[in-house]
Amino acid sequence: MKTTDASTRVKKSISKVLKIDPESIADDANFIFDLGADSLQSISLIAAFEEEFDIEMDEDKALEVQTVSDAVKFIEGYLN
Amino acid sequence: MNKSEIHRHNLDKIFNPKSIAIVGANNVQGSVPFDIVNNILKSDFHGTVFPVSPREKSIVCLKTYKYVIDIQDPVDLAILVFPSSVCHLALEQIGQKGIKSVIIISAGFKEVGIAGKEKETQIKEIADKYDISFIGPNCLGVINTDPGVKLNASFARNMPSEGNIGFLSQSGALCTAVLDYAQSKNIGFSKFVSFGNKADISEIDLLYYLADDPKTKVILIYLEEISDGKALMKCAKDIISGIGKPILAIKSGRTDEGAAAAASHTGSLAGSDDICNAALKQAGIIRCDDIREMFDKAIAFAYQPIPKSNRVAIITNAGGPGVLTTDALIKDGQQLAKFSDDTTKIFKKKLPKTANIKNPVDVIGDARADRYNVAVTESLKDKNVDAGFIILTPQSMTEIDKIAQEIVKVSKGSDKPIYTSFMGATDVEAGIRILQQNNIPHYILPESMSKAFTSVYEFSKFSNGKSNNENKVTIKKNKNKAVKILEAAINEKKKFLTENKTNEILSCYDLPVLKSFVANTSEEAAEFADKIGYPVVLKIVSDDIVHKFDIKGILLNVENRNDVKNGFDSIIENVSVNAPDAKINGILVRKMIPTGEEIILGIKRDNSFGQVIMYGLGGIFVEIFQDVSFRVAPLSTNDIKSMVSETKSSKILFGARGRKLKDVESLYSCLSKLSELAVDLPMIKELDINPLILLDENEGCFIADAKIML
Repeated sequence: MKTTDASTRVKKSISKVLKIDPESIADDANFIFDLGADSLQSISLIAAFEEEFDIEMDEDKALEVQTVSDAVKFIEGYLN
Repeated sequence: MNKSEIHRHNLDKIFNPKSIAIVGANNVQGSVPFDIVNNILKSDFHGTVFPVSPREKSIVCLKTYKYVIDIQDPVDLAILVFPSSVCHLALEQIGQKGIKSVIIISAGFKEVGIAGKEKETQIKEIADKYDISFIGPNCLGVINTDPGVKLNASFARNMPSEGNIGFLSQSGALCTAVLDYAQSKNIGFSKFVSFGNKADISEIDLLYYLADDPKTKVILIYLEEISDGKALMKCAKDIISGIGKPILAIKSGRTDEGAAAAASHTGSLAGSDDICNAALKQAGIIRCDDIREMFDKAIAFAYQPIPKSNRVAIITNAGGPGVLTTDALIKDGQQLAKFSDDTTKIFKKKLPKTANIKNPVDVIGDARADRYNVAVTESLKDKNVDAGFIILTPQSMTEIDKIAQEIVKVSKGSDKPIYTSFMGATDVEAGIRILQQNNIPHYILPESMSKAFTSVYEFSKFSNGKSNNENKVTIKKNKNKAVKILEAAINEKKKFLTENKTNEILSCYDLPVLKSFVANTSEEAAEFADKIGYPVVLKIVSDDIVHKFDIKGILLNVENRNDVKNGFDSIIENVSVNAPDAKINGILVRKMIPTGEEIILGIKRDNSFGQVIMYGLGGIFVEIFQDVSFRVAPLSTNDIKSMVSETKSSKILFGARGRKLKDVESLYSCLSKLSELAVDLPMIKELDINPLILLDENEGCFIADAKIML
């Protein structure tokens, strides 16, 4: 899968959970600092990524991911 | 400006901001970020509030900003409530915005381990880059009750009432308990600060700030660890002796693992809490064991004038409590006032015949408000009285509320302190409330009045008497020689010095060491003994032996040449049996010291407070009796005298039970020299002089045994 495809799908999942326009999500946006995710929403984001990509992620490691671009890389690690 | 000056400047905007940004705010009711915004609004803050939230459009009707740099107006204070993982990003923007004063409420730093410690270092570096001063992280926040500010920048449940007590706490949870306790006693605060991990602004910065704060009359502090004991002592002395403000402290953590591993008597006796206790006392800080004791004493300082002296009048309507209070007062070292003839005449005229008109004044169980008024008013007018303790027990005819009101009235017209104890609970509740609302200290137990009064009186003596107690004794010393000996031993990686090297160092500071000689043969030992005269002492000299008695490496009272030669051989044999691996450097010969009182003097290097001096009853039972005292070097003249007098055994030196007075002046001189040695030679880990033999008055003292650990 191309990185651009993964990025689009990650932003779509973020948009659903945080209820924000996917166009407004920058690649280097920080989930907490820029997008305002709280701890519950962070868990929901992991669930949304798992559903979107049909993968099962290590939750502790996933919670350490801070930005959208890092999330894309993290997910690609599972897909490859 | 140095860091402390930057902090002092920036602290003013932490306590008196005109505008605040709450960075990381949200709309989740019951969350810390939401409660902080809500508390600031509820406290009727007199400035402007800017919530900063990446997602919310508004929080409790306030327009939000996505980033702190989006705020167009100037901001005095930022309160950071983001999770710790993004605090560095937020603080970077706070720095870019030019905000210099910050409270970091967020947890998840040093207190959670190595990863948290790295985050703490990161935010400290950002703060330093922008000259930001911050309180926290991991704290409850800050409260300023000043009516011109009205700031509750915390997630405490309630804003306390205005008062003149400043409270500082390392523990946030304790803060909420204290606020609840204080509210129940109608105790108000000037400033209330939870400083958490103190990664930037420390307790020292906050103490200095409260020292200069005109709204704060007394400072309370709860500490879990003291990072810089020397700085704390200097700060406390500046505030207590310089400005005259009392500091009351609770310091938790009284356990002592470190002392168990010490090699010397001093090391094993000087537990970290003993040292902390001594250091706080030396600095004039009043150490309290618990919150109740702290506030019992704090209200005495905060509400009432400082007494001129310690003569107390006790007024009671019940004999028993009067006697209990008298006992407590005398036990605490204070005086029961003797009324003047004029006061006695008035009492005879105005009080019933059944009343006890001597101190403690018993106005009798059926006393109503008018009788209390006479007793209290006339007692306080008496020139022989410095303070009044008023006790009330609730009888069927006792006018509890009215008596409380009379006490308030008399107190307002008097410049002498009044403490009260309305004994009981339900019946006296309304009376107590009147007293508390009018700043009359009230105590459930009458004995507590005495404890609080004693603290206030001792503080007044300390703060008035500190200016002229420096130790101005000039000591003949050879510091360079001592340093060379120690450096040589350190280079050779020695853990302790031999007795002759220890004696050389003590001699460099003119301490009373007897001339000695290390003999390699029994003939050499006998020749030296002949020169110095008999009796003599023989001691093993070895880098590998600390406790010479244990391995029979000492012979005392050796009377003649023949015994010296035999003694030499027997010590060598004892050591070869009891410490076969020890390398023997020879046998030390010196004159036997005459009998006297055995004293122990010592030095221990403490990580926080530096070199600490110990004094006590010496000899081989020193650990059993533990009659010792400590002070942090350098010692003032007052320190020297008080550390001797506070031990139980000091009476022996001053001629107890018909004994001759000992040469206490020479002991004071030794302590003074030891203090100088301790300051000059910080490489000494522990030093024991045990025993120092103290002879009768004008006969001096001699060091019988000493060791230095490196």
